[in-house]
Amino acid sequence: MTTVLTVRDVRHAYGDNIALDGVTLSVEAGELVALLGPNGAGKTTLVRSIIGLLQPSAGSVRVVDGSPSQAVVRRRLGVVQQDVGFPTTLTVREVVVGAAARAGVDRSRAKAAMEEMGLSGLAKRRASDLSGGQQQRLQLAMGLVADPVLLVLDEPTAGLDAASRKAFWATLDARRRQGTGVLLTTHIVEEAAALADRVVVLHQGRVVAEGTPAELRRTLPGRRVTARTSVPAEVLRAVDGVVSVAARDEEVDITATEAEPVVRTMLELDPAVSDLVVATASLDEVLIALTETKEELVA
Amino acid sequence: MRARAMWLEIKDELLGILREPTALFFSVLMPVGFFTFFAAMFGDTWNDAGTAMIVPFGTFGVLAVVLMNPGIGMADARQRGWLRVKRVSGIPLWMTLIAKVTASIPYALAVLGAITASAVLVGGMQFHLGEVAAVFAVLVLGVLPFAFFSLAIGSRVGTNAAAAILNAILMPAAIASGLWFPFEMLPDMVARIGRALPTYHLAQLAMRPLDGGAWMGHLLVLAATAAVGAALALMAYRSARL
Repeated sequence: MTTVLTVRDVRHAYGDNIALDGVTLSVEAGELVALLGPNGAGKTTLVRSIIGLLQPSAGSVRVVDGSPSQAVVRRRLGVVQQDVGFPTTLTVREVVVGAAARAGVDRSRAKAAMEEMGLSGLAKRRASDLSGGQQQRLQLAMGLVADPVLLVLDEPTAGLDAASRKAFWATLDARRRQGTGVLLTTHIVEEAAALADRVVVLHQGRVVAEGTPAELRRTLPGRRVTARTSVPAEVLRAVDGVVSVAARDEEVDITATEAEPVVRTMLELDPAVSDLVVATASLDEVLIALTETKEELVA
Repeated sequence: MRARAMWLEIKDELLGILREPTALFFSVLMPVGFFTFFAAMFGDTWNDAGTAMIVPFGTFGVLAVVLMNPGIGMADARQRGWLRVKRVSGIPLWMTLIAKVTASIPYALAVLGAITASAVLVGGMQFHLGEVAAVFAVLVLGVLPFAFFSLAIGSRVGTNAAAAILNAILMPAAIASGLWFPFEMLPDMVARIGRALPTYHLAQLAMRPLDGGAWMGHLLVLAATAAVGAALALMAYRSARL
């Protein structure tokens, strides 16, 4: 299998603020990798390094076998960025035809990309007049026009309604089947879990976890226990395997690697415990627990 | 492939100018309005000068276009994130900059045409077609170095700030260079500064087809202006926050 993206030990700082601290990851052809992490984790800095907008202080980024600092390599990328506004003076067709010209592909590819993203009916509209969701589709159409080896999508479904999101993912899935690698950042964790072949969790500029969604659920704090109990939160925090405890009055919400020690402790110290629920943590909860834990460790 | 991409870049820039009529107001109507106003007031005394009066107002006209337009366009594209899209697309840096500069040429020609047309309408001025064409050629080519300064400013500040800064450069430079009033009417200090400005040298070079005066010194100043401007534009664009 061809590796379409290789990020090796990438470091970058904005003054004293370390944004990336030795990030290593890769994306294979036909693989969808989701990059997850809280705000400020370094996702956008990493994406900017990958698409050639930023030269990291150290480490290397390779798209297939070239550096994205080279224009010819960037032409092999399809990119959806956050916060892009289109010129008020260009139509949808002009924007996509321009993207085809810049990528050095035939004009007919622009028409195909517009059709693929359901934009043909909007071809004569000013691009800046489109809704947020339509503009995201337009960016993806620009990205698809040159049949990229790697799609880099930074929060691509932000602002999309459910139907548009579904269509967006269907397009990505089709491209992935054709061998395009996909790296996406998203806040919609469960969506990433459903679609991604692999998930990389970034926190404070470091990769803190990596694996398939199932592996992450298995290896990370995967149980959630809620109950009404008089056992103090600090006692529960000391139980083996407990990752986080949120307590309010007598209601506790615990994330742990295993539920049994938690339940046993509660029953021993508080036989009157009530409303006890044990559930498998969602990937979203795993992510929150994981990053909170790391924050505590760092602190 | 590069030729097609370059053409589309220029076309996009031209469409940006044509489809944004508010820009036309300041860039075309202002110099033409000033020219018409002065021609109406002092037209009789200009009769002897004829084509020569096109030079200072034409210089101001092309400066207004080439100094304002690329920089404001650059700032707007940067603020929107559109410049980021272009950089990621793999288009070479020089193509983006050249397209913005090239697109201002027909615009500058349109301004010169409008000034000439208004001169004809106001009447009382003598024209020699060959001389007018030569003046136009010198102005349109000679003004291009100023576009680099415009791009440098547009790469560093927001749209509103770019418009304000560029206006703050254009107006005093035009007055100090004697484009609106002869040097005799200006304070000595202002006239001395004016003679050192590249805008003055552009106007003097444009006078060359009419008065046959010296040109090499003016050309060298504009060449130096182009070199400094291009270096600043490249540095500013490369370090711009996209």
